Amino acid sequence: MAAGFLRDYYIYFVLLGIVVILSVANIDRYDLFERGNFLYPKNIINVLRVSAPLLMLAGAFCLLMVSGYIDLSVGSAMSLGAVVYALLAINGVPIVACVAITVVVGVGLGAINGFLVVRLKITPVIATLITLSLYKGIALLLVEDGVSAIKSGGGLKMPAWFNDFGRDGVLLGLPMAFWLAVAVTVALIIAQNRSLLGKYAAATGGNPTAAKLSGINTGRVVFGLYVLVGVAAALAGMARSSFMSLGDPLSGDGMELSAILVVLLGGTAFSGGEGKVLRSFIGALIIMALTVGMLTLVPAYYQTLVIGAALLAAAASNHLISRKKSAF
Amino acid sequence: MGFQVSDQRFPYVLSIEGLTKDYPGVRAVDDVSFSIERSTVHCLVGENGAGKSTLVKMLTGALEPTSGRMQILGADYAPASPSEARERGIATLFQELHVVNELTVQENLTLGMERSRFGFLVKSDLDERVVATLAAIEPSIDPAADVSSLSVAQKQIVEIARAASSGANVIIMDEPTAALSEREVDRLFDVIRRLRETDVTVIYISHKLDEIFKLGDAVTVLRDGKHIATKKLADVDGRSELIEMMIGRAVFHDYAPRANVSDETVLTAEGLSNDLLKDVSFHIGKGEIVGFYGLVGAGKTEIARALFGADPVSGTITFKGRVVDHSPKSAIASGIALVPEERRTQGLFTSLTIARNIPIMNMGKLSDRGVVRSADERATAIDYVGRLRVATESVDKYVEKLSGGNQQKVVFAKCLFADADLLLLDEPTRGVDVGAKTEIYDIIRTLADEGNSVAIFSSELEEVLGLCDRIFLLFDGSLEDEVANGPDVDIPHILNVVTGGAQGAVP
Amino acid sequence: MSVLSHLPAGAQSTAERPRDSGGRRMSDESFINLLVASVAIVLFLAASAMVPNFFQFQNMVNLVTNNWAVISLGVGVTFLLVSGNFDLSVGGQVALSGVLAVWFAQSTAGANPLATGLGLPTWLAMACALAGAMAIGGLNALFVVRFRVPSIIVTLGTMMVARGIAKVITEGSQRNTNLPDDFGALGNLAMFGTSIKFPVVLMVVLVLVAVFIERKTVFGRLTYWIGANPVTSRLSGVDNARHLTCLYLFSSAIAGVVGILLASEFKSGFSARGTLMEFDALVIALLGGVAIAGGFGSVIGMFFGALILAVVTSAATGLVLSPDWQFILKAVAVFLAIMTQTWALARRNR
Repeated sequence: MAAGFLRDYYIYFVLLGIVVILSVANIDRYDLFERGNFLYPKNIINVLRVSAPLLMLAGAFCLLMVSGYIDLSVGSAMSLGAVVYALLAINGVPIVACVAITVVVGVGLGAINGFLVVRLKITPVIATLITLSLYKGIALLLVEDGVSAIKSGGGLKMPAWFNDFGRDGVLLGLPMAFWLAVAVTVALIIAQNRSLLGKYAAATGGNPTAAKLSGINTGRVVFGLYVLVGVAAALAGMARSSFMSLGDPLSGDGMELSAILVVLLGGTAFSGGEGKVLRSFIGALIIMALTVGMLTLVPAYYQTLVIGAALLAAAASNHLISRKKSAF
Repeated sequence: MGFQVSDQRFPYVLSIEGLTKDYPGVRAVDDVSFSIERSTVHCLVGENGAGKSTLVKMLTGALEPTSGRMQILGADYAPASPSEARERGIATLFQELHVVNELTVQENLTLGMERSRFGFLVKSDLDERVVATLAAIEPSIDPAADVSSLSVAQKQIVEIARAASSGANVIIMDEPTAALSEREVDRLFDVIRRLRETDVTVIYISHKLDEIFKLGDAVTVLRDGKHIATKKLADVDGRSELIEMMIGRAVFHDYAPRANVSDETVLTAEGLSNDLLKDVSFHIGKGEIVGFYGLVGAGKTEIARALFGADPVSGTITFKGRVVDHSPKSAIASGIALVPEERRTQGLFTSLTIARNIPIMNMGKLSDRGVVRSADERATAIDYVGRLRVATESVDKYVEKLSGGNQQKVVFAKCLFADADLLLLDEPTRGVDVGAKTEIYDIIRTLADEGNSVAIFSSELEEVLGLCDRIFLLFDGSLEDEVANGPDVDIPHILNVVTGGAQGAVP
Repeated sequence: MSVLSHLPAGAQSTAERPRDSGGRRMSDESFINLLVASVAIVLFLAASAMVPNFFQFQNMVNLVTNNWAVISLGVGVTFLLVSGNFDLSVGGQVALSGVLAVWFAQSTAGANPLATGLGLPTWLAMACALAGAMAIGGLNALFVVRFRVPSIIVTLGTMMVARGIAKVITEGSQRNTNLPDDFGALGNLAMFGTSIKFPVVLMVVLVLVAVFIERKTVFGRLTYWIGANPVTSRLSGVDNARHLTCLYLFSSAIAGVVGILLASEFKSGFSARGTLMEFDALVIALLGGVAIAGGFGSVIGMFFGALILAVVTSAATGLVLSPDWQFILKAVAVFLAIMTQTWALARRNR
């Protein structure tokens, strides 16, 4: 009973703990947080604003891992989404078309992953490592040589609306991208509990043989989930790009690690079947609070170490928890 | 939902006529004809190899009959695939569970049959129906509970409810009680009886004769692929009649008492206990062939793995006067080798060549300071391939390319090369053709004659009777009895014990 | 054809041991190695035809010498892949050991924190740095063997931990001052009076030793057995946990040495060094026919895989393609390699 409670709710306590620690540690080393107070509204808005891309990814990635599959190319797909979005915007394409085309690109990227894994039966890790390299290469090639990112300059200027999506507050001071991430998460929570996709994802990851025997086309489920992750990655790229006012072909680097981390924090088992979208969303909040909040305590170069250690800790704790519950 | 015919004109839900299945060289099912009455529990019994599983595979569309025909409620039935069988109302309860632990009971019950609109689930009468079906057969299971929180028995019941609510007329259950406790078995039986009341027919396959008398309405006995009898259980004259029908008059057995069995004891096991085993004690003599005989789930494999140190067990194992450490590595070092139950997944490296498979258990013999003497390694492989007559043109052949019998010989070669004094053979001839079987028996006898001890863990009575000097009888994880083999060995007694007769309820 | 099946059962005499004469079929591994080597040669010739000045002896030498670090890492990664496990932490370990070596060797009296080290003698600094890298290897083994966490996730985590420590020690950049003069000796040592440096020679020796271990030793056999079927290997008396621990330590020792040599060559400990090297090491192993399912592959194949990658990337540079093309080229090369190898093996074994 206690173990079950721990498994279901520990993540909220972790989040609470981190917020409390960061709130009482009154250090404002980089002047990021006014008066060194983490819970000050402006800081919260800051954290949530930079969190939008990861929050956007967490739910879809969670569902994919629940089905027992993985996508290491999300970081590159996100970069490519950011570059495409910025490239279209800077060349005067209207906003609706920019968004639509970027989303279509996301569908395409996800579909390529799905095709490699489901049709060509390449191991998911290898297939998505291939596309990691591929998408990153395309993103880099879309940016002119000698320039690090797509941004205003050289006769071209980002349109005024470019920041609207990822930076400017629309509600409670938070930008559209954040609200979209919340909407996506809510939609995925509903999908996980109320749709065929959510149920079939759990069945595919939990007991593939049973799923197939029940007449479920597991290949189609997995393909659909890869497409979903592709779209989420493209939207995340848009959010990042809009927040930074540029299309950086490296902006998604390392995102696959953060995505795995938040999903593991959310209690998803490696073997698939288990895991909740909401808890992954909370996991993403934890990571962002941790990375942003850490800046008040320690220099930025501690980040890699802390994320790596958190990943190992999450993996180890999942192992320990899953061992406890296997006593039926 | 499928072909749920509620026409009362047909008293028989399923009739089989002249059903035959040929494999190259073997007729697994030979001209079997019988009919199964509606709303009954129809038991299917027979020794291993009697043709039960082949028959079931034909019923469920997994195999195509060579000849003969089947009918469901008077309509011709020739399923091309398991899914067609399901559509026609024949469901199977597999030994491994096909439930999704991560979903709730109700979600499992509707899996694959959901009603949806735009991809979203919608409430329908389906939900009410599955819940009602479950409540009718086992009201104590909460439809909202996570399946992972259920016991194995409850999961089984969920599968049964799933089959019943998908409109199955017939549910085939193959050894469903193998992993259940006594109380769980009683509950399962209640469920089956309630199913029968809801016009579902159950084909029940079990070795445990008590269960058959408790539960069954009728029984069909198969032997050597042939139909021996179909009778109402009320007309069967106790266990002994059933056993007689199963084994026939004479069991073929060519056991000859062996001269050179010494009195020296090599292995003593005392009080072995774990999840399944209950205080098992025995000893094995030098040069002796002993058999562990019991049904599926009686604990044969568990004893073999415990002796080999592959699974945790309490109790002591003394081998050649010393207590053995608990790991396969130290078992091999002290002279015990295991031919495991599943040769492809546990006994072999199928993706490697024969030459790379044989030497693993005794590399010290083929290497100096960690450097392999390749020529010796190869020569050893060639030598053992020759001795065991593995049919292959080269030791560089990949093991996955060999037939079952030859693969098993490679596993034997591995264990023989270990220079073991005690060989544990778990189902040594399962899935092996007749020729290879005889050769394997010769090898076993030769080994024992050379002074090695052999323990055979088998569910084939003929095999145990043909080879073993002493036979330990297992039932439900405990060692029930021990018999010395010989011309006058009491076969009905053996069958009585391993089918639960010693714990005796039904005469 | 077979003489074997005519021997009497139980014949104990080996006098009549059948000669396994002629027609010894090439193993699938040799077949793949040959395939990979041929592809490397064909690609080299094709590149020579297309790229000016490509077909030169010095260029051939450069293809190998420029890639000594990745090929060395590839050795450890290949062994682990053959045993059925990933190691994506080698790049991070390269950074970590280099940074540690520099930090340990820097003199204690520096002008600022980044110029101040522990002042150990060079050899001791390097030995301690190696131990640091191997600690990461130990961590990999602990999580993979004891906690049974999938190796891909563990080694992604330790990759960040290793690089993270390197970043902390260098405050996110590098340490390159206040080093003893002999620190740069090892990485720049020219051998046999040629321009070939010590690390390259070390790589060649490592590859040869690795081929020997893989082909001729019990250690090599154990690696294949565990990769081919860990259940069978355990039931055949193999201590899987111990062997996998050895492999992770072995891989991290190589990564540690590579990191130290690179630090010595550049006389600096740079926290971003070795970025993507773990990826390249994996790529060349896959190009070389190593199967991630385990139990199949060889160091020779990996070596030729490295040559394929080297030819493709240097030819691309020669064709004045932007360096950004390398990512796409790698992706396409790995994709084609996997598809061809699967297809070729399936056809051969039909």
